[in-house]
Amino acid sequence: MKKVFVVYAADNVGTVVVEPIRAGDRVSCNGERSDIQVIAGDDIAYGHKIALVDIAKGGTILKYGLSIGSASCDIQAGGHVHTHNVESNRGRGDLANRGAVSAE
Amino acid sequence: MTEFMGYVRPNGDVGIRNHLLILSGTVYANGVVERVAHSIHGAVPITHANGRCQVAPDLRVTRRFLAGTAMNPNVAAVVIVDHFKEEGMTAEDLADDIDPTGKLIAPVNIRAAGGFISAVEKATRYAQDFARQISMHTREAAPMSKILFGTECGTSDTTSGLASNPANGIAGEILIAQGGRMLMAECTEWMGCENWLTEKAASPAVAEAIVAGVQHMERRALASGEDIRGSQPTGDNMAGGLTTIEEKSMGAVKKIGDSPIVEYLEIGEAPSQTEPGNYVMYGPGMGAESISSMAAAGCQVLTFCTGGGHTSNHPIMPTIKVTGNRQSYELMRDTVDIDVSGVFYDEIMLAEAGQIIYDEVERVCNGYLTKSEALRDNNSFAIHRVGPSI
Repeated sequence: MKKVFVVYAADNVGTVVVEPIRAGDRVSCNGERSDIQVIAGDDIAYGHKIALVDIAKGGTILKYGLSIGSASCDIQAGGHVHTHNVESNRGRGDLANRGAVSAE
Repeated sequence: MTEFMGYVRPNGDVGIRNHLLILSGTVYANGVVERVAHSIHGAVPITHANGRCQVAPDLRVTRRFLAGTAMNPNVAAVVIVDHFKEEGMTAEDLADDIDPTGKLIAPVNIRAAGGFISAVEKATRYAQDFARQISMHTREAAPMSKILFGTECGTSDTTSGLASNPANGIAGEILIAQGGRMLMAECTEWMGCENWLTEKAASPAVAEAIVAGVQHMERRALASGEDIRGSQPTGDNMAGGLTTIEEKSMGAVKKIGDSPIVEYLEIGEAPSQTEPGNYVMYGPGMGAESISSMAAAGCQVLTFCTGGGHTSNHPIMPTIKVTGNRQSYELMRDTVDIDVSGVFYDEIMLAEAGQIIYDEVERVCNGYLTKSEALRDNNSFAIHRVGPSI
């Protein structure tokens, strides 16, 4: 059993801190969600995130108990959560008009 | 309400240290300042590269940093040295700024004293007298509500947003519950989570100032050719697992808790309110400038959350380093005070980590020396520049 870290109880992702995760690993959580266990669907490196529950396309990714973006496709519990399946809801500086605080 | 033992100043402020400052008004007084401080028991020199040939708005910031540092409650007495009649900021000007605090103040001008050697003699005599007078000061009981608690993060890594920063936010809430105030600067790091901050703003004016502050910093960077928003999160950040700008920023701003943001401050500006809660300040991410701005605003104590470990320490504001990275703690334990990495290994919960940080803050307020204070590694006085040298 490998452990990932969950910052707040409301979070639906955990972060790999103690040891890297391999696809197929059984994963449980330290921190605020010791009740959750998932089977990793992907290899997940140090500092990267794993989905703790199924997250539907458009669903909010919660870390620190707050939105850090939205799922750009369905994400299965145990899947790697990163730029390939999450979109920012905030400062896309590459898209925003210069001088405006985007999404405000 | 918890009390601590501090030094009650004539204006009602309460310091956690009783420093004698030897303050340089200009780069050209640094030599005299160092010589005097070297001769006097407990004297702390403040030297810097500013005070000459600055444009007016920039000089105002320098003056605010220098006067504010001397006005900090941790300072009991100050000898100010300048070398000539510096336009717009003489030793007397600085003394006038500091005077309302009722501290012991003595300005010395190198030219008026008759040169370097005479100025050293004159300033040393003032400093000797002040050192003996303040040696009679004793600590008295004061409420924790007198504490303005600054917070900073630097050399951050994956562990920072997960452990040291959110634990620090919990520590801040413990202080605020006792009537204290917490101050966060580094507005570059608010980018992408402005809404989390504005939702906590005590008034629409504070919310507008927060958004405007981030925009101002962003435009300054852009004017120098650096697009700090479009490049966020950086390639390194993404390789490290950070997915979005809000994820990165949230990890940084979570070093304050959920209490309302009472006031927005300009860099180095002291709060005008005494309302318990969070306070935020315009300023860069550059650690030494940022913590110096918070010392100038009156913070008596500061936590510095660091992933990689750090040596930063302000000369008059005890700087408690906190890491969530066990390896960094082992490597940097000479100067890192607290290791909260136990949250990752099922040893402690985040709330306990917050309590551990708060308990250390309270001890330091009562006089316990930080690791860097014991080493006298006073490396982090720096003045933010907002204009070119002329």
